[in-house]
This record gives sequence, C-alpha cells and structure tokens, in this order.
Amino acid sequence: MSQTVSLTGNRGLLWLARRETLRVWKLWTQTVLAPIVASSLFIVVFGFSLSGRIRHIDGFPYREFIVPGLITMAMVQAAYSNNSSSVFQARSDRYINDVLSAPMRSWQMNLGYNIGGVLRALAIGAGLAAVAVPITGVPVREPLVLVPAVAFGLMLFSALGTIVGIYAETFDHHTFVNNIVILPLVFVGGVFYSVSRLPSPWHELSHVNPIFYLVSAVRYGFLGTADASVALSVGVTAALAIPAYLWAQWLFTSGRKLKA
Amino acid sequence: MIDSLGRVPVSAPALDVRRLTKRYDDGTVALEDFDLTIPEGMFFGLLGPNGAGKTTLINAVCNLIRITAGDVRVFGEPGSSLLARSWVGLAEQDINLDRFLTVEETLVYHGGWFGMTKHDAERRAAEMIDVFDLRAKSDVRTPKLSGGMRRRLLLARALMHRPRLVILDEPTASVDFELRQELWRYIRRLHEKGTTILLTTHYLEEAEALCEEIALIRAGRLIARDTASGLRRAYTADSLTEVYVKAMHEQPCPVEEAAA
Repeated sequence: MSQTVSLTGNRGLLWLARRETLRVWKLWTQTVLAPIVASSLFIVVFGFSLSGRIRHIDGFPYREFIVPGLITMAMVQAAYSNNSSSVFQARSDRYINDVLSAPMRSWQMNLGYNIGGVLRALAIGAGLAAVAVPITGVPVREPLVLVPAVAFGLMLFSALGTIVGIYAETFDHHTFVNNIVILPLVFVGGVFYSVSRLPSPWHELSHVNPIFYLVSAVRYGFLGTADASVALSVGVTAALAIPAYLWAQWLFTSGRKLKA
Repeated sequence: MIDSLGRVPVSAPALDVRRLTKRYDDGTVALEDFDLTIPEGMFFGLLGPNGAGKTTLINAVCNLIRITAGDVRVFGEPGSSLLARSWVGLAEQDINLDRFLTVEETLVYHGGWFGMTKHDAERRAAEMIDVFDLRAKSDVRTPKLSGGMRRRLLLARALMHRPRLVILDEPTASVDFELRQELWRYIRRLHEKGTTILLTTHYLEEAEALCEEIALIRAGRLIARDTASGLRRAYTADSLTEVYVKAMHEQPCPVEEAAA
C-alpha cells in the first residue's frame, strides 16, 4: 500500500524549480514581455533621442553605452520581484507548507525558489539583448566576464527577493524594497551615465553603491571597458551575493519566519 | 530505526510524541510536556476546543513549526527526517492551495516534491482525480473551484504520495452532508488497508463513529484518552458530546482525580 518515495535524489528540487518556472511562463506577458518592452522603450527613447546631444561616452555611442545598464536593471528587478512576490504569496496563502512538509532538504528548497527568479531574469536579459543588439549594434566583447557578472548579480537579487519574501508581512514591504532601495540605487549606479564624469563627492559616493559594481561588470562584458576594474566589480558583486544566498539558506534551515 | 533490510520494526508506533512543548514567540504556550502515542494502523481522534493545541501538535509532526522542546517520532524516525516526512500526509484545516496551479498540477507537483517520478505522479493524480470526483475540473485553477471542490482537492493532495500516516485537521469543516459521507467512506477504506489516521474534528458524532480511540486535549494538555465507550464510562456520560462538555467545561479529568 504505502509507496516508498525517492529521498536521495533531487527530484523535489527539480519539481520546485519547475513550479517556480511554470508560474513565470503562465504569466509571461506580465513577467517577461512587459519588462522587455519597457526596457526597449528606454533604449529607443533615451538612446536615440539623446544620442544627438551626447555623442559618445568612453568611445561608444550613447545608445550602445546604456544597453548593458538597462539589461542589468531589467534583470535584477525581475530576479528580485519574482522571488519576493512568489515566496510572499506562498507564505501568505500558506501553500508553502506543502513544500516545507515535503521530504526535501533545506538547500533544495532555497535553490528551488531561487531558480525561478534567475530563469525569469535570464529570459528577460536574453530577450532584451535580442532586441538591443541589432538595434544599437552594441558588441559583446568579454563574454567570459559577462557570465560570472550576471551569475553573481542574479544570485544576489534572487536571494534578496527570497529573503524579503520570507520577512515581508505585507505586499507593501516587497514593493517598498523595490521602489525605495533597488530602483534608486540602479538609477544612480551608472546605467545612464559614466560615473567617472561625475563631480566630487558624487563620484566617490557612487563607489559605495553596490549596484554600480554590477553595472560596471556587465558593461565590461559588453563593451570591454567600464568605470571600475573588472576584478573589483565582479569581486564586490560576489562578496554581496554569497552572504545574501547564505542568509536565505539560513532562513530555510532554521525555519525562522517560515515556521512559527 | 530501520533494520538492515530497510524495514521498520512493527513495534514502532505511527506517532510517538514525548514531552513536546511549543512556546510561540509571543510567549503563548500551546503545548506543554505533551505526550501522545498512536499505534500503527489506528483511526485516532483528537478533540478539543479552538486554541487547545491540536493544530500546533499537527504542525509539530509535519515539520511546520519550530518545537521548543521534546521529541516527535513517526514510525520510529525523527519527525524532521526526510523519511518521516515522506510517510506523513496532511490535509490542513485552512484551504492552502497554490493559486497558480490547476487541480491536476496541484497533485502532480505535490507528488514531485515528495519524490515521485513524473509518470508515477501523473498516474496517481489521475487516480485521485477520479476518486475525489474532480475530473471535470482537472484543468481548472484552484481559485476557481467551489469550497467543496477545494476541500476534496486538499484531501486528494494529502493522499497523493500514499502516506502511512494521514493527518486530517478538521477535513469536513464547511463541507455538505453528502460530500462528508463520501469522504468518510474513502477514508474508512484507506484505514482498512492499514493506513493510520489522525483526525481532528468538531463533529463529535463523526469522531465517535469513526475513531477507535479518542484523546481530549485542553489548554495544551492531554486530559483523557480512551475508546468512545471508555470515555463515556469514565465521565458517566450518555454520549461523547456529554463527555466533551464535562471534560472541557465542568469537570477535571477523572484520570487526573484518581492520580491525585
């Protein structure tokens, strides 16, 4: 009668990752298409309208210069908001209990929830690149830098989304972090301009913004040049991503805020 | 413990709770030094008013709360172990269905994170859909189901991975008479095949008709435990309802009196 289920493999993890991905595809116009359209409009409106006034930055046409930052902005927001809303919803409606009571290890739960945000962000990044590269002609000069920069960036913001999803008491908390913390930091992180052109103290202050380093690393991956050194940029992003992921892991392991 | 052939000795009770204490963060003590043993194969009822600690006990067994002290074992295995979790099926008191999934997906994904293969999960889901008469709604998302349908789906989900211990936390709350009779017929058949059932309900006549043994719980403590007829004798009552009223409102437990 009772069937022995598989407890040794990663089947539960794969199903959880699949569920998180399914949610993204079921709402694809909202979760994937809308951010691509919005960022494409930024490229068209800012890139082409301002390129008459701002001819070149760091040797690149303005419309090319802003593409890496816009892709970064779209991806980090998607990774964050996907996980914060998905985990918060699961907690709020209490269907997360179905996962918490399942024979899955805490690292599998953490990874499973984070994969959803990462895949959604990658879909947006790929879609936006597919639009932006032909339109603007932006090159991809350092793909080997682009890979770790994107990987650590998505790890950071997926984990941040998961953490906020776990701590949030209302949906407002999730939007508060997005609108009051992430979005302003992205805008002053050098998406639309080169930080090296800023006067003091804004130039120095920009270096305290962690998103500046992520934008810088991604820009280096595309253009082969950026405001900060590539090692520092990837290093700072990784140094933030790893503790953030471990924090999310601790929440799943300890049950803090997930279990009364 | 499991023997060298991977078998669990028959002597291990389905549920063995020792000195379980749960103190919530706000200081509320829901259970204190709570002991309960349910032999394998028993249909066991847990009765008590709201706030008595029934759901806390269930959540402790299902790894959904952080217990303050004590020990929970399921068929001899620590309650937090993967093996123990794979043996328990829970239908919670509140409807907690994933709003993004259809009826069929709810069951298949549940099977997935309990380690079932896609093929097994789909086959079992089809079986559960037929048993609980959900065929016409199998492609419908859960928010669009009626209350009765959601309750059926909750039960189907709890039984999806063929658990050895099925925990039903007020499964027939707000369920009409016909569906209640239908659900109990299925649960009875399941019990006849050897599944251990732990039931909480406010319908005392249901508990009397179904349960081989009944425990009365009040303010986080077990105050009496016996067969329905044994409880009636102990409380010199004509019905379980009278037992309940005396136990919860009027008299100290005869067992406690005798011990004093």
